Amino acid sequence: MKTIKLKINGIETEAPDRTPLLQAAERMGIRIPTLCHHPLLEPYGVCRICTVEVRIRNRVRMVTACNYPVTNGIEVFTDSERVRRNRRMILEWMLARCGHVPVLNRLAEEYGVTEPRFGRGDDDCILCGLCVKVCSEVVGANVLGFFDRGPNRTVSTAYDRTSDRCITCGACAQVCPTGAIRIKDDQEGIYQAMPMGPLTSINIDFMQAVPRKAVIDRDSCIHFKTGKCQVCVDVCEAKAIDHKQEDRVEEVEVGTILLTTGFQLQDPRVLKEYGYGKYKNIMTSLDFEVLNNAGGPTAGKILTADGKVPKSIGIVHCVGSRDQKYHEYCSRVCCMYALKFAHLIKEKIHGCEVYNFYIDMRCFGKGYEEFYNRLLREGVNFVRGKVAEINDAALDPSEEGKLIMRAEDTMIGVVRRIPVDMVVLCLAMEAKPEAKHLSHLFSCSTGKDGFFTEKHPKLAPVSTPADGIFIAGACQGPKDIPDTVAQAGAAASAALSLIQRGEVETEAVTATIQEEMCSGCQICVGVCPYTAITYDKGKNKSSINDALCKGCGTCVAACPAGAAYQKHFRDQQIFAEIDGILAI
Amino acid sequence: MAYRAHCLICTGTGCVAGGSFNLRKTLEAEIAKRGLDREIQVITTGCQGFCAEGPIMIVQPDGVFYCRVEERDVPAIVEEHLLKGRPVKKLLYTPPTEKAPIPALKDIPFFAKQKLIVLRNRGLIDPDRIEDYIAVDGYTALGKALTQMTPEGIVLEIKRSGLRGRGGGGFPAGIKWETCRHAGQVRGVAPVVICNADEGDPGAFMDRSIIESDPHSVVEGMIIAARGIGASEGFVYIRHEYPLARQRLQLALDHAREFGLLGKNILGAGMDFDIEIREGAGAFVCGESTALMASLEGKLGEPRAKYIHTVEHGYQDRPSNLNNVETYANVPLIILRGADWFASMGTGDVKENPWNGSSGTKVFSLVGKINNTGLIEVPMGISLREIIFDIGGGIPKGRKFKAVQTGGPSGGCLPEEKLDMAVDFDSLTEAGSMMGSGGMIVMDEQTCMVDVARYFIAFLTEESCGKCTPCREGLKTMLDVLTRIGDGKGRMEDLGLLEEMGAVMQDCCLCALGTSAPNPVLSTLQYFRHEYEAHIRDKKCPGGVCKELITYGIDPAKCDGCHACVRACSTAAIMGEVKKVHTLDVHKCIKCGACIEVCRRDAITRT
Repeated sequence: MKTIKLKINGIETEAPDRTPLLQAAERMGIRIPTLCHHPLLEPYGVCRICTVEVRIRNRVRMVTACNYPVTNGIEVFTDSERVRRNRRMILEWMLARCGHVPVLNRLAEEYGVTEPRFGRGDDDCILCGLCVKVCSEVVGANVLGFFDRGPNRTVSTAYDRTSDRCITCGACAQVCPTGAIRIKDDQEGIYQAMPMGPLTSINIDFMQAVPRKAVIDRDSCIHFKTGKCQVCVDVCEAKAIDHKQEDRVEEVEVGTILLTTGFQLQDPRVLKEYGYGKYKNIMTSLDFEVLNNAGGPTAGKILTADGKVPKSIGIVHCVGSRDQKYHEYCSRVCCMYALKFAHLIKEKIHGCEVYNFYIDMRCFGKGYEEFYNRLLREGVNFVRGKVAEINDAALDPSEEGKLIMRAEDTMIGVVRRIPVDMVVLCLAMEAKPEAKHLSHLFSCSTGKDGFFTEKHPKLAPVSTPADGIFIAGACQGPKDIPDTVAQAGAAASAALSLIQRGEVETEAVTATIQEEMCSGCQICVGVCPYTAITYDKGKNKSSINDALCKGCGTCVAACPAGAAYQKHFRDQQIFAEIDGILAI
Repeated sequence: MAYRAHCLICTGTGCVAGGSFNLRKTLEAEIAKRGLDREIQVITTGCQGFCAEGPIMIVQPDGVFYCRVEERDVPAIVEEHLLKGRPVKKLLYTPPTEKAPIPALKDIPFFAKQKLIVLRNRGLIDPDRIEDYIAVDGYTALGKALTQMTPEGIVLEIKRSGLRGRGGGGFPAGIKWETCRHAGQVRGVAPVVICNADEGDPGAFMDRSIIESDPHSVVEGMIIAARGIGASEGFVYIRHEYPLARQRLQLALDHAREFGLLGKNILGAGMDFDIEIREGAGAFVCGESTALMASLEGKLGEPRAKYIHTVEHGYQDRPSNLNNVETYANVPLIILRGADWFASMGTGDVKENPWNGSSGTKVFSLVGKINNTGLIEVPMGISLREIIFDIGGGIPKGRKFKAVQTGGPSGGCLPEEKLDMAVDFDSLTEAGSMMGSGGMIVMDEQTCMVDVARYFIAFLTEESCGKCTPCREGLKTMLDVLTRIGDGKGRMEDLGLLEEMGAVMQDCCLCALGTSAPNPVLSTLQYFRHEYEAHIRDKKCPGGVCKELITYGIDPAKCDGCHACVRACSTAAIMGEVKKVHTLDVHKCIKCGACIEVCRRDAITRT
């Protein structure tokens, strides 16, 4: 594109022909105030604050910098007395509508408008149109529009009703310069000020994720809802974004497999008595970790949903674990991380009361009991008893807005009622629902809790009945990070020893199918617990993989044609043995 | 068949409202009853212009002008005039200052000083018959343009004629056509021709009357423009409130298509062009070019910045040539008689540069406190005094002239000392008003200039689209300040504030509606500042209009006790016995003005 010369505030500069004046000025570091401009949107040019003076061959024109295309030889004055007079008046007009909008007041102060001559109005919307434009141009939902005209103009949805086309993407609230748009959740009142989930549709799972790459969440991405947006494509300098990518199924041939599919947290909504999702400021242990993380939504500050520093926090142990109704087992890690939370809260918020509600403290292991004793000295309150209920039923004004925790303190034998600002639920670790399916796929089994079972609890803690398939971590049972790392190391070395050898030792006693007798009925395929039998459609015959067969003999017994036989235990051999015995 | 006489009945909107359609029926029935239907033909024509005196009927070939004709007058006209050849005296026009009626149209001063180019066929032809238009040389210009001229030649001819846009801006049409043609060729995109018939100024009805009286002149002008520019598609954007004009225009388009003047291969010259009518929904701002095109596209009718011109990127991003009704109606005669003929009328030498002056004529709708309300066409350069006092017949009831407002709601008010100024685009702008599309509102001494400014600002506030801040908020605050002054609560610093607001709006508004909106305030402040000061300092309204500042009274010297005002007063504020001087209770009076309307002796005072 052709480059042209122009002068801004007396300084010569160059810019591509017909670039918007605002851009050309910004490139020189000259700030021109605007209230209706957004880099992602076509200039709308309505606030008129960016009006500047342009001299073209001795003719003076007042133009809006946001959409005026620069041409060769123009001379621009962005801050002349005439420009400032206009801005002052426009700001006074805006204040007459929206007298209490911070962004307006800041700008007005900059231009010396302290006492607007037309008074101060109570509206929040300056009618800049950014929300309307982002909704139609970028999001493509076309939910917002202008209504009526002149001074009665407003921004709204059609017929002022909630629109079913709104995808609650929040783009309008984000671009609004005055904060006039708030997003309300129909079910839960005010939308959480600090969402615990990913803040945007594009996110990096967590700081330590491998590979540490951003991914797009299809469920919340605007493009997958309306077909528009794609703002990320425009701003990504590496041109790395491709919305057409699809999940791929890849086949990889391997010698050994490590099952490390992990766990999930108990759904806190099931425990209705604890009011998760009903009241603000009740969070799971994982939510608290995110909140407390320096890279989290509050940069590591512990704050309530209203952005206040809590004065008291309750921590509930054994939520869903050690409980006949949910999981009988102990989740093993909760006591210790609950102590860690209490310690961190005490460290970050001076004078904050922390209440730990526990059944009994399980501080096994190196240094754990010492840590518990230290917390006792730090003044953390320990209440022995299971929390019966959490609600917001305040008895007096001082309890207004607080969460009331009720629990029996079995140490002193009374029912206690403790109001707190925030509650952390230490949820049970539980097996993932898909573990059952995986266990079929990998010929291993799951216990009654749904965790994978190892071959032998003492002698083969990382092996499964299937050769070459190993398990490690919380998919085998609840455990903390050190235990997981130790088990994973063991599983890896077991796998490596198999790879190192390069060959597999098969069982001496395995089954074989005599091809000529096989009718292709596939009964054996279904009964084999080790998925060792495959059916060849072309030949209409089944055959057994020696490396997988454990010689259990199930197929031999099941085969109606008598085609399957067990090495060293063939019918003739057994009959000969019987004959031998009977011959005595 | 030859008739010995023709009765031309005006069917412009004004006369139709007066009952001219029924008049025609009655007249035809009466003529038939007398057995004259083979001798006398009744024709309905478009607007004659003299709307104040409607319904109007002209009897040709005598050229006798009848005004305020009612159905009950029909037998007299037939009996006296059509049978016996004696004009009916009581229906003839009598100027307000004289006693003797003027029988012939050509002798009536309202018509005598006019020069008809755009309105050449008014009252001559039936707008519903294309044959009538063709009979008066209609479509001859199109034939000439298609067979004897190149498209470049057409554009050059218009450029040399100096024809400037009659919609208000006064941009030379030839230059616009040239740019549009060029943009179409460079970009390889077919241009469109659009006619702006969204006439929204209060008190203006030029475009409506042109379409109602001579729709084919607009159609012909558009076809010639399309030929010059290279367009094959055209639109007329007309407001919904003009049903009669729309209907006549639609009929004209249908006839033109029937006659091969629209559609494929026009006049066998290989040109394809057609016109579609689109209706506006009644927003004043849709007369602005970018808002009009947004509306034409089916979008919200609001303007956009014009740093990229619509002649290059307009309707559907195509090069778009937008002219108003009157501009197109001028085109056929320019082509037919030549640019030199057109340029010879008006002011300045425009042949080299159309910006040098204003050529041709201009149609004005003359309204307000004036005797001869109506539609007039005058040569550019005529003085305001000639328009108001010669054609318009002066101010009614012998009152004094105060101001004339030109250019619609965003125009300015000019005082008596500007009356001798020549009317053209540049001198009006220089005086702080504008040509606009040709509204002309005359105000007498009983008009309050603060109230006038407030009225126009209120109109514009309502019609502002609200897109940009200075127009939306500026007009509203301006209205607040003007209302305050009118209520007697103004402060002297308000005058400076109004001027400052006006200056900022002129600098910063997005479209011409906003930048010209302060004109009524700024021009009244310039020429009638003393009236503002009287409102603020003396708490007096010199025009006797602003209710808060006036009190009604009865002049005992004039009151003859006729009791008319007592009957008219809705709050029983006036008391008195018949034939004795009445009195008025100022505490009960709501200053509605009903008593003034009925008082025959001008005895009610407002001070």
